[in-house]
Amino acid sequence: MSNLSRVEPFSDGFVSAMCPELILFAGMLALILIPNLGKGTFRIPGTQIRLPWLLGGQRFKITSDPRLPSWLATITLTAAFLNVLYIFSQGLDRTLIVTDSGKELLLINGFSRVFELIFFGALALASLASMNRLQVHGIGSKVSESELYNNRRQADFYILMVTCALGMSVVALAQDLFVLFIGLELASFSTYVLVAFLKESKVGAESGMKYFIVGSVASGVGLYGLSMLYLWAGSLQFSVLSVAFAESGTTALPLIGIGFVLVGFGFKVSAVPFHFAAPDAYAGATSPVAGVLATASKAMGMLGLVRMLLIVAAPESSDGSAIWLVCLGAIAAITMTWGNLAALGSDNPKRMLAYSSVAHAGYMLAALTAVGAWNWDSTVSGDASAAAVAVMTALLLHLVVLVAFKLGAFLVLSILESDGGASRLSSLGGLAKREPLLAVAMFIFMISLAGVPPMAGFLSKLLVIMGIVRVAVGDMGAEIADGGMYAIGDLHWVWWLALLMVLNSAISMFYYLRVGVVMFFEEPEEGREGPLPAGWQVRTAILACVLVTLLVGVAGDSLIRLCEMAAQSLNYEW
Amino acid sequence: MQDWISLPLVGFPLIASVILLAFVSRADAKMRERLVGPVRMACLVFSLVLLMVTTGMFFQYFGDISWEGISFNSYVFYKQYSWIESLGIHWTVGLDALSFPMVWLTTFLLPVTIIATWNEKNGAMYFPILLAMGGALIGVFVALDLFMFYVFWELTLIPMFFLILVWGGADRKYASQKFFIYTFTASVVMLLGLITLYFFQDPGNPLDYAGTMTGRSFDIPSITQYAFAENSDGWYLGANIQKVLFAMLMLGFLVKLPAVPFHTWLPDAHVQAPTGGSMLLAGVMLKMGAYGMFRLPLSLFPHALEYFQLVLMTIGMISLVWGAIVCLGQTNLKKMVAYSSVSHMGVILIGIATMQPMGWAAALFMMFAHGIISPMLFAVCGAFKHHYHSMEIGAMRGMAKHSPWIATSMMFSWMASLGLPLLAGFVAELMMLIALWYFLVAEGWSVFWMVGPALVLAVTAAYYLWSMQRTIFEGGDETQPPESLHGEPVPDLASPEKLAMLILAAFTILFGVMPWIGLDMMHDWTKQIFEGLIMPILGDFNGGV
Repeated sequence: MSNLSRVEPFSDGFVSAMCPELILFAGMLALILIPNLGKGTFRIPGTQIRLPWLLGGQRFKITSDPRLPSWLATITLTAAFLNVLYIFSQGLDRTLIVTDSGKELLLINGFSRVFELIFFGALALASLASMNRLQVHGIGSKVSESELYNNRRQADFYILMVTCALGMSVVALAQDLFVLFIGLELASFSTYVLVAFLKESKVGAESGMKYFIVGSVASGVGLYGLSMLYLWAGSLQFSVLSVAFAESGTTALPLIGIGFVLVGFGFKVSAVPFHFAAPDAYAGATSPVAGVLATASKAMGMLGLVRMLLIVAAPESSDGSAIWLVCLGAIAAITMTWGNLAALGSDNPKRMLAYSSVAHAGYMLAALTAVGAWNWDSTVSGDASAAAVAVMTALLLHLVVLVAFKLGAFLVLSILESDGGASRLSSLGGLAKREPLLAVAMFIFMISLAGVPPMAGFLSKLLVIMGIVRVAVGDMGAEIADGGMYAIGDLHWVWWLALLMVLNSAISMFYYLRVGVVMFFEEPEEGREGPLPAGWQVRTAILACVLVTLLVGVAGDSLIRLCEMAAQSLNYEW
Repeated sequence: MQDWISLPLVGFPLIASVILLAFVSRADAKMRERLVGPVRMACLVFSLVLLMVTTGMFFQYFGDISWEGISFNSYVFYKQYSWIESLGIHWTVGLDALSFPMVWLTTFLLPVTIIATWNEKNGAMYFPILLAMGGALIGVFVALDLFMFYVFWELTLIPMFFLILVWGGADRKYASQKFFIYTFTASVVMLLGLITLYFFQDPGNPLDYAGTMTGRSFDIPSITQYAFAENSDGWYLGANIQKVLFAMLMLGFLVKLPAVPFHTWLPDAHVQAPTGGSMLLAGVMLKMGAYGMFRLPLSLFPHALEYFQLVLMTIGMISLVWGAIVCLGQTNLKKMVAYSSVSHMGVILIGIATMQPMGWAAALFMMFAHGIISPMLFAVCGAFKHHYHSMEIGAMRGMAKHSPWIATSMMFSWMASLGLPLLAGFVAELMMLIALWYFLVAEGWSVFWMVGPALVLAVTAAYYLWSMQRTIFEGGDETQPPESLHGEPVPDLASPEKLAMLILAAFTILFGVMPWIGLDMMHDWTKQIFEGLIMPILGDFNGGV
């Protein structure tokens, strides 16, 4: 790993370090400006000379095309995504953006880069797919009123997509709780509006309202916790807070403060008991947006949890962290079980996917618990630092590949929505007859979510289980080789989380398979026999998701290596 | 040496079936009808190629490989390629006298299944799925890497799920989901056991996998070797952990086998599955459970095996007796045959639990013999269903007069299954009885354990003969064809079905008259494992036959 370079804003090295974010910023400006370009002129006062200044007036043909914003957003997000990939291929630099007074603002390293990859990838796919979901038509006299309405809102939708990506990447980079919350709120507000985007429909308005109210309460609680931490430590810098936690983190004030902050992130990952708004939000939002909530937004929440729990209040810092270990383990166990049981009973495929997303949050929290167990328990030592990296690798890989198959599943539903709704399981009926390839893609996504080899979901779930088991076993392997005698009860208790996880996978099999059964076995709904609406964009996105799901499943080595590198760079010490 | 396994035996059928399926799925319904012939022929030819490869292996065509005298934990046709380096996962394939009979059996059953179900509906999709099934099954038997083993283990579920779901009977939705969830649950528990075992290796041991994140490997031969070295000084991993891991692994295999009380998925799956699915399910897929037991828990944890001996013996006895008694009460022909499979799998468990070389050889030969006989049973059931549109035992009487081919095949396969001398099943059952007797006397167990097998011999004969009496003979000349035919003439086997029956019958006789063709290598394998593993670790505990 190269040395950490400290860079002030807009000095040397700033542009190269922040290149993806700057691309997004430029894209956002372009999205605001370009659709407004027209033949507007400006008369120099006192003369008859009119200078063209291009803003307003009759718009040019190309800038008035309602399809323009979607292309701009897709190109911007894809460019940012490719830029991050290029940076990975060039080898990573570590850059810390500091203020002139030495305060740390943003840290760019492998860890944050992987999250940028997740965010930009998911949003690029979603915005590509949205072209077919929020359909627009060229201008002309034959455009109906609602179509015209849709056309005019295009720019809003895609600007929000880009600001969402920008906010998320700020969360990924932040080294200061305050900066982190700015990013979080930027992303949150964008998603509130995106969820409520179909505000004319009843479900759209309801889901947007619910999501906004619950979300803003969670943010408010988080901010309150933030203020308590500031009161206690006098700073919101991660570096300052982690030192303070190491010294005296067991007192009531910081613990309550951090607990409140966690509520904010718990809502984002939709962990029980903060998950209640999630199914409604997913069901009411357009499918690509729901897919973003289930992948990128969840990754952002998980990122916040990792930062708060492992960097700020790391277990090795103080005995107090043991409190969150048990607490988080319990939340993980409840979350995965609740999510799966609730998914069993839901007939709406989007709600089903929402609950499955809750279950997946549980698996990831279990992994996080396992990272927290290192060094704290005496049975887990020695090999433990490597074990923690392994679990973190698994967590990152799971978040990355989740984009492929979770978002992919939502995109398939998105095509069905354009066909007239996807709010009942029977909407998927006969998909195998209507569009065999789409049904096969959906089946691949489902068994990947369930964790069946040889799909990517299996590899990532296997890695999570392996990581947890590795933490649980700790050094026992080596000690057994030296003649030590142990019983299964000597394993760290996180092993039981792994057992719960495999049993939950088995429960989840039921509802994932049911989708397959409906698609391949049941007849289509009345009047929905024919092929689905065309749209090469969303199909391209689905194809990309299928390819990633299969390729990572059978040859995921390089992606694992990448995630491992990212996991190692989580903190300077690691 | 050239790699005769990875591409020819595993990759080729999987890739060919994916290409065929992709090709067929783009065709419309009319085109699909026209494609059935070529696709079926292609699948038959491909599966015959597989059979030629494995048969060539047997006759040492691909090099001077002797199937006897392969010492414990060494493999022929062994090849290793790196796959997911960071976790110590390799693509490792190899064969020994344990896996080779199973691989040959799979390649033998594939063409026979295709022939026996020559006229299955929607054939253009059906035959490639059978081919994929074959590739996945072979993958399970040749895998020498825990990860690869698990991947293929689960991969077999997907084609079978679709076979039952799309081509199955009236209640196929319920049966296919039950089948998938039941076996999946057991195998994820097994997976956790495998992972825990993986991490209990000392990092750097058995081999130094420096390039990996974990410092450990999934390599079955080296784990087995290491476990053997550790077991020699006592319980490898310690008594408690070894027992728990043994139980976790066995759970996955017992459900697959299946043994009572984990057997309830089997009758449902069989009754609803199409004939071809049933043939492969009973013929090979059940054997995956027994194969897995020999490959992993028995080879890794002999101490735990000794500890759980009584439990295994009890489960085996209960499967044997319960399966047979339930058969008596069945009115559905296919369900009866399915329960008879449960009963026969009990024989395998008892053979294992005797911990005698002959008992293990009996179990191995039972896997093989049942793998030839049970497809024939299900082919007969399929023909019965196909021609009489009913599965009920009483639906057709006096079959000997109306359809002599079905009657003859049924009689032959029923006799083979109940253990008629000179047919393959008899050899395995006889060996099991001898091993059990020897074991009971040598170990001083109560001879009342013999009551179970003795009882089952009678009960098996009873349910088979009774069902034959009700279908083949009863009624005489006056019998009318069943109402489900609506007055159509009574059909008999079609020519492809006749051919398949003849092939299966011929091999049943072949392995009954000359069992040593397969038995020699199996007996040699058990001899090697007892000399190489069981005796050095558990001591010369009762001589053994």
